[in-house]
Amino acid sequence: MGGNAVPLLEAVGIRKRFGGVVALDGASLQCQAGEVHALLGANGSGKSTLAKVVTGVVAPDAGEVRIRGRVEKISGPADMDRLRIAAVYQELSLIPQLTVAENVLLNREPTRAGFIHREALWQRAAEVLHRLEQYLDRRLPLHEPVGQLSPADQQLVEIAKALSRDPEILILDEATASLRRHEVDALNQVVRELSAAGTGILFISHRLGEVYELCQRATILRNGRVVGTVDLAETPERDLLRLMTGEDLVLERRGRSRPMSRPVRLRVEGLRVAGCLDEISLEARAGEVVGLGGLQGQGQSDLLRALFGDLPHAAGRVEIDGKPVRLGQPADAIRHGMVLVPGNRGQEGLFMIRSVLENITLPSLAHRSWAGWLSLQRERNAARHMLNRLQVKVGSLDDSVATLSGGNQQKVVVGKWLLTEPKILLLDDPTKGVDVQARNELYRVVEDLRDAGLVVILNSSDDSELLALSDRILVLYEGRVVDELRGERLTEQELVGASLRLGSSDRKEGMSHA
Amino acid sequence: MLNGQDARLIIQRPPLPSVLRRSLPFLASLGVLGGVLVVNAILQPNLLTLPVIRSNLATFLPLIAAAVGQAIIVLSGGIDLSAGGIITLVNVVLVSLAGVWGTESGWSTLAAVLVSLLVAVAAGLLNGLLVASLRLQAIVATFATNFVWMGLALAVLPVPGGQAPIPLYRLYRASFLGIPSVVFLLILVILLWVILKRSRMGQFLYAVGGHAQAAFASGLPVERVRMLTYGLGGLFFGLAGVFLTADIASGDPLIGSPLTMNTIAAVVIGGTPLAGGTGGAGGAVVGAIVLGLIRNIIFFANVPPFYQDFISGLIIIAALALAAGGRGRRRSA
Repeated sequence: MGGNAVPLLEAVGIRKRFGGVVALDGASLQCQAGEVHALLGANGSGKSTLAKVVTGVVAPDAGEVRIRGRVEKISGPADMDRLRIAAVYQELSLIPQLTVAENVLLNREPTRAGFIHREALWQRAAEVLHRLEQYLDRRLPLHEPVGQLSPADQQLVEIAKALSRDPEILILDEATASLRRHEVDALNQVVRELSAAGTGILFISHRLGEVYELCQRATILRNGRVVGTVDLAETPERDLLRLMTGEDLVLERRGRSRPMSRPVRLRVEGLRVAGCLDEISLEARAGEVVGLGGLQGQGQSDLLRALFGDLPHAAGRVEIDGKPVRLGQPADAIRHGMVLVPGNRGQEGLFMIRSVLENITLPSLAHRSWAGWLSLQRERNAARHMLNRLQVKVGSLDDSVATLSGGNQQKVVVGKWLLTEPKILLLDDPTKGVDVQARNELYRVVEDLRDAGLVVILNSSDDSELLALSDRILVLYEGRVVDELRGERLTEQELVGASLRLGSSDRKEGMSHA
Repeated sequence: MLNGQDARLIIQRPPLPSVLRRSLPFLASLGVLGGVLVVNAILQPNLLTLPVIRSNLATFLPLIAAAVGQAIIVLSGGIDLSAGGIITLVNVVLVSLAGVWGTESGWSTLAAVLVSLLVAVAAGLLNGLLVASLRLQAIVATFATNFVWMGLALAVLPVPGGQAPIPLYRLYRASFLGIPSVVFLLILVILLWVILKRSRMGQFLYAVGGHAQAAFASGLPVERVRMLTYGLGGLFFGLAGVFLTADIASGDPLIGSPLTMNTIAAVVIGGTPLAGGTGGAGGAVVGAIVLGLIRNIIFFANVPPFYQDFISGLIIIAALALAAGGRGRRRSA
């Protein structure tokens, strides 16, 4: 990439203010044709806002966007089409009721004599999907409504939809957040193809591993300003983190592996759930963090949901504090002091348009009510106390949850369950799409809870997080526990090895990303 | 690994199970229709003779056309509570125009019908303007415009009376090649829907009804689509008004009101949830016929008039429950 070539995409001196908050304060960035450029920063640093300026979702107060050297006014999807910009958003732009094929070619439907040419639509959609599928070991269901697909598959459809636009500039905003490892690999292959063909790619991700794998340069934002544009090959991770946060933040090992003498709080024997879990047995003692590891999608989330009573048990026995319990629905689990913090906070964890106060107090109202009556003062006190404990910064308890950053939203989800005073906390990928700083704060919360004697069962798509937090890790593979790591075996190498089942009879898929 | 050539050469057709699963709500409404037909046929043995089919269809057709219009609006995420008002307006305008231009001539009849349809489309577009452009809540905005249309209707024709154009009245009762004209009109209504559904606009209706924000992010002209759905709805309400006028052959400024809720019931019985995004007008046609047959059943079962609405309400609830059964319970995977 010669420094003197006209950049494909250039943002210059972008300023944007939302009410009293300065989101972008003169941010600039350049992306060359054929470059994969990372846009990094903690949540709230303005990187999403900058991406939204480029896609015309947000109109800047000052500054300009240049495409191939020309100043362009981008004010909506139509301009993006004209300039051949496509974006994969964190919030999906798919219509759940339409099929995969219909979604991929939405607003691009081939017609014949004024009617949609179905066969051509199916074929063209299949061709686009094939660009991803050739690197996966399966095909996406062309004729299934998108709403029926797993979050990962929906994300793949969203990516295919962007590819169908034949973009010259592609923006991937946390596009890998719900993808499994081999799917990320497939996306990386496609991204490499695109960049080889001259497409400029803006890559936004919290997963630094992926950033190093894919990108050549990175622009780092902090508090709405660019603090540096670096060559990734010459910048170690530690330096990158320092640029992002202004301080050293490294995952330190927080788990303890010493033998425990505390009583067994949760015992699961032979749990089976049709289609996803087989003969799962585990024991967790008070004050223990048990990690669920393995490749993504091997039943970790299903196990948490099954324990929460959200999936029907086909067989098995669950005991809490030595007493057998029946978990037919979430209300049962909650009554026994077992709560789930879901990974998909927008859909399952929060009422976005309602206030922080309402969200955080909702599950525990009964604890503080008297004959059905609530004291608003007591509610506000309880909420404020919890927000302080979790270090959530909110303007007012009455602000809607949607105004909070991703990290703070996740803390509200944790907080609303902590107010129910649970004994067992099920965490399903709690830091997905959450920045480093908020992440570390959440880790501190997990530590506190563990010290307070709670059982924490943790699923995470981030191996280093799992290793840092867990006292021991159960490795799942195709719905079974295939290994348990504790003590000296709690290393990344051991975890990856156990996840891929190295040494046991193996699947082709497992080997490909060893 | 998949072979690169395969994806290009072989068109993947929708597999039968997934087609069946998607059309389950419609199939369920057909099941309800079957059940109602059998009961009706037992109480009224001549149900399936040509004259009875003709007279039944003539009675049902206004609701069928209106239900198609309502389905278009509902599946794109809206609702129109002014359907009955628009139908009434069309009825009184058509009769009044016939009064001015004469009830005999074919050309003046055609002109009166076209003007009435234009009035309906304009009323629909006005609803669309309120809902799509001014972002008023559809349920309240159309509840209000309904009063406006009914008020206008009363201004045009304060008391029942007048006469429908004779060619229209005759055409509605005529037969061609032994087939009643109402059958052709039914086919026309369905054909209009099929054309819409197969166009890109049809796809946009579902997209906007399914997830308007995502549709916008995909570059769809969401506001224009919404506006157009109300206009199209107006067109079908207009057709309903013309059919109703042809059937009763006169004007009545209160005639359309009870139709609104029936169109919504027909839409839901036909498998289109009020949340929008799925379903279709085909189901609404079935739903409208089911509602018509339920009225027949009550009539032929000699239910005392006092209980008719009561019984009809119970049967509609049963039909809704059956139709909802077809939709099945969905669990997030």
